[in-house]
Amino acid sequence: MGDALVVRNLSKRFGGLRAVQDLSFSVKENETVALIGPNGAGKTTSFNLITGFHRPDEGSVSAFGREIVGLKPYDICAHGLARTFQVAKPFGAMTVLANVMTGAFLRDKKLEVARARAREAIEFVGLSAKEHTPARDLTTIDQRRLEMARALATEPRLLLLDEVMAGLNPAEIDQAVALVGKLSKRGLTIIIVEHVMRAIMAVARHIVVLDHGQKIAEGSPKEVVANQDVVRAYLGPGYVHVAAPGE
Amino acid sequence: MRVLRSSGALWLGLLTVVLLVLPLVVTSRFAIDIFIRVLLFAFIGVAWNLIGGYAKQLSLGHAAYFGLGAYTSTILQIDVGISPWIGMLAGGVVAMLASLPIGALCFRLRGPYFAISTIATAQVFMLLFLKFRDFAWGAEGTTIPNLGNAPLMMQFEAKAAYYYIALGLLAIGLAITYRIERSWMGYYLVAIGEDEDAAEAIGVNAMRIKRDIYMISAFLTALAGTFYVQYIYFIDPQTAFNFNISVEAALVSIVGGVGTLWGPVIGTVLLEATSALLQSWLGSSFGGIQLTVYSLILMAVILWRPTGLLSVLAEVYARIVRRGSAQTKKAVLDG
Repeated sequence: MGDALVVRNLSKRFGGLRAVQDLSFSVKENETVALIGPNGAGKTTSFNLITGFHRPDEGSVSAFGREIVGLKPYDICAHGLARTFQVAKPFGAMTVLANVMTGAFLRDKKLEVARARAREAIEFVGLSAKEHTPARDLTTIDQRRLEMARALATEPRLLLLDEVMAGLNPAEIDQAVALVGKLSKRGLTIIIVEHVMRAIMAVARHIVVLDHGQKIAEGSPKEVVANQDVVRAYLGPGYVHVAAPGE
Repeated sequence: MRVLRSSGALWLGLLTVVLLVLPLVVTSRFAIDIFIRVLLFAFIGVAWNLIGGYAKQLSLGHAAYFGLGAYTSTILQIDVGISPWIGMLAGGVVAMLASLPIGALCFRLRGPYFAISTIATAQVFMLLFLKFRDFAWGAEGTTIPNLGNAPLMMQFEAKAAYYYIALGLLAIGLAITYRIERSWMGYYLVAIGEDEDAAEAIGVNAMRIKRDIYMISAFLTALAGTFYVQYIYFIDPQTAFNFNISVEAALVSIVGGVGTLWGPVIGTVLLEATSALLQSWLGSSFGGIQLTVYSLILMAVILWRPTGLLSVLAEVYARIVRRGSAQTKKAVLDG
């Protein structure tokens, strides 16, 4: 299978801070890759660089065979890359349905078509019962679901999920893990930024570890948790991985 | 659902009939003058609401487009002899073209900085028209030659004719808003107003959408400018680019309810009625006190109901027709 995303020598400085340095990794089609690392390691900045919200100082990003550095976020979305935000950004005044329809308009401007596609995405994430709820009244997990549905409605090939599990309780994390698994089964390529190790071990086939803006390790989950640099920089010496059900 | 929709059509039909018959029943020139002002400012509010209400770009410079519309048609009429009916459309086009560079500059700024920069644009136009006398009469302005009853030159002896033109403009503004609100464009505008980054992340070219809706808004505002100077037979920079026009355009929408079809109309009716009543009650006994009371009422409304008075009316209405209330809400929220 081909590469969905190839990131080469990506760098970004904010003043004196090197947020991302010489980062390279690639993601194969239909693979789920996790980006992990301590706070400030450059994970969200990497997302912003890939999705066009920041322009990298150096490096290239190629998605499905096309160079996307320099494109605007909406062009990158049209090219098939959709993202969620670390702090959910629902359109508060709109209902769940209207939120997701706004995403669906990217592919078809007709109301009826967009409504049908939006309903499908809402059902997929399990929000159908709250279709007519204003987005500002949703709970945290439902806001995350909404963001995923809205991203899905743009019919992406690659989905970038930024800490969709932060702030969720253990039961909700299991639900979110199941949802990510379902997305992957649907044929989507997924890049996920996450701190919840239990979730990462359950969903990711491949892990890239960042620290101080640099890649310090990558490999399968097993390799990564055994890597001494990763334990020192991020996991801590007491880390013991408990196998999640179905792993 | 069908019952509700037909009851909405019934109300709209009833309202239309009342508005059409009104100048035949009420013949006082003073009253008709107030009606015309209400219709005109409601129309300007509707035009403003497209960019300022739905997309939440708080423009305080719509006087720029009002003035450009007014000057374009007046210059064409006096210097070239072209009918203001055509001049009105020409003014709209001029305003649209002017909105492109203004938007390109101002939309780089967000929030209050955007608002401040738009104030500056209207002021710049006023200064230009004040300074360059050869171009358009400078500070003295000019009266528009009175041709008696000349419908083709947008001049009428009967005040009612102006009333119907203003009513027509408002109807056009509302129809355009209605169409936009119920299309993908309406969703995009609200999305941009709610969170521009999130909108761009799902494929919305926010700059382009804002530019397009700003052009429509500018076009409509310019039509109001032409109409106004034709109605008062006079133009000067202070009249055409008056800051009060920018403020009023925003105010009627904010008081009535931003980002709603009828908000600016409700807002204008309430504000103009309050202002006219206060003027007649208090204006003669205590000069100036009517403005103080007016301001206090305005502050109270904004503190008490920041979402606008339309939401109060909607609640009252929902309480009366409780049975249909859940469905109304659903329909309103889904657009």
